[in-house]
Amino acid sequence: MVTILVVVAILACAAWIMCHRLGVVPEYDFGAGAYYYADIPGYENIEKEGVYHTSVPYWVHVVLFLCWGWLMYRLWVWIDKRKK
Amino acid sequence: MEKQKTVPAFWGKEDWQAVWLGFVVIIIACVAVLTKAFDFSAVKFSTWTLGEAVEKATPLGVQLGKWVFWRKFLVTFVTLGILFTIGVKLQGEKVKKYIPAFIGLFVIALIVRMVSAEFTLNRYLEWAFWALLIGLLISNTVGVPAWLKPAIKTEFYIKTGLVIMGFSVLFSNIAKFGLYGLGIAWIVTPIVILFMWWLGTKVLKIDNKPLVITLASATSVCGTSAAIATGAASGAKKDDLSIAISISIIFTILMMVFEPMIIKAAGMTQLMGGALIGGTVDSTGAVVLAGNALGPEAEQAAVLVKSIQNILIGFIAFFVAVFFATRVDKTSEKKVGAGEIWTRFPKFILGFFAASLIASFLIQPIFGSGAVKEINGVLDQYKNWCFVLAFTSIGLDTNFKELAKQMHGGKVLWLYVAGQVFNIALTLFAVWFLLSGVVFDVPVLDLFK
Repeated sequence: MVTILVVVAILACAAWIMCHRLGVVPEYDFGAGAYYYADIPGYENIEKEGVYHTSVPYWVHVVLFLCWGWLMYRLWVWIDKRKK
Repeated sequence: MEKQKTVPAFWGKEDWQAVWLGFVVIIIACVAVLTKAFDFSAVKFSTWTLGEAVEKATPLGVQLGKWVFWRKFLVTFVTLGILFTIGVKLQGEKVKKYIPAFIGLFVIALIVRMVSAEFTLNRYLEWAFWALLIGLLISNTVGVPAWLKPAIKTEFYIKTGLVIMGFSVLFSNIAKFGLYGLGIAWIVTPIVILFMWWLGTKVLKIDNKPLVITLASATSVCGTSAAIATGAASGAKKDDLSIAISISIIFTILMMVFEPMIIKAAGMTQLMGGALIGGTVDSTGAVVLAGNALGPEAEQAAVLVKSIQNILIGFIAFFVAVFFATRVDKTSEKKVGAGEIWTRFPKFILGFFAASLIASFLIQPIFGSGAVKEINGVLDQYKNWCFVLAFTSIGLDTNFKELAKQMHGGKVLWLYVAGQVFNIALTLFAVWFLLSGVVFDVPVLDLFK
């Protein structure tokens, strides 16, 4: 019963937002329905190139990225093994 | 006895077909953009409106009255029609039955895209939602005619769309916001996925593991796109994907509007607020709008964090595929061998990765970012067409009762809510730790670039 009430409240709230066109920016020809960055018209003008500069080399990012990914995968396997 | 012709797996199996069909589209788009010899753009409706006139809208009549619209329509229909028909033929199915069915499905998909381009519907829900809804309405009212059924090939369209999408996943984005961005986007994301996995499978005891991982990726990575990729990698059923995406889309509308309000009320800086939005709001469009509501610096911070999350899709889909091939799909307690893993592994993920690597390390360095963006502008619409065909197929192949069953008595909704609350809390901590100035220097964004 609680779940049904929550679902109804969420749907009503979403419908209310849509009816009142809340959150929309007039100068942008897209909305929440642009799921992926490539779906956004003129994305290259929104995401400015070189807006942030870092002195950390690119390869450091890649190494950290891969290490954290591998560590998390091992943790996932461990969590999954703990079930029984 | 008649000897049956066997087609090698590379040509005959759906997974491999998705790879080469996707690459055919990518190659044609690259040639079209780089040589400027021809226009390969797919058809797309511009925004139109049912209600009061709005600035960005073009009346439907004007759009349909233009020759260029119909030329692009023909290019899209012929390209996808030929490629998928070849695929179906090599899968050993009857082309005579597939062609009329594909035409019917394409017409429904065209209606979906037209409906989802309406101003209000486009601003909040777009094609995935309307494809599911229109498909569901047809299948649960008048029913799906038998002649249309041969074209309902959800996985085939999704896998092909994902390979095309791979070209837009650019590794250079990884360093766009330095270690700050990596810390916010990449440290938090897998932890949220693991939390939701533990909560869903161990605490809530949801036995449908593909549904749990699909919902977890939608929550922590970037909504619909991530759900499609991990859903396909984990072998999620059509209902699982429908539920994960519907929940994500509806909550995104709420978060897009209320999250900036709460951030403003809390007095958070634009940089911190934007980064929080980038790390927690699901769809990229909603991230830009929610960031914009806070100010220009927040918008840039939100976009920077989200652009890192966008490249996570491929990695997460890859690890999900490996995990499911080695742990979830195994039938005995014995360790799964390399050969068996290879057999179970969804091969289209390799195509997705290959497309991403080629775009990042070959096309971008040689032809520049501008060319890659232009190519992706073309490819994005083909990806969307594949996904619209897939989601319309899901709707046509689903009934409301089955869908309700997959909610597991509401557990799925509560899993999303708990996961999203955890995601917001953890991202908030990461944002405070990295961007508040208490521990590290506050990064400076050059907004006048």
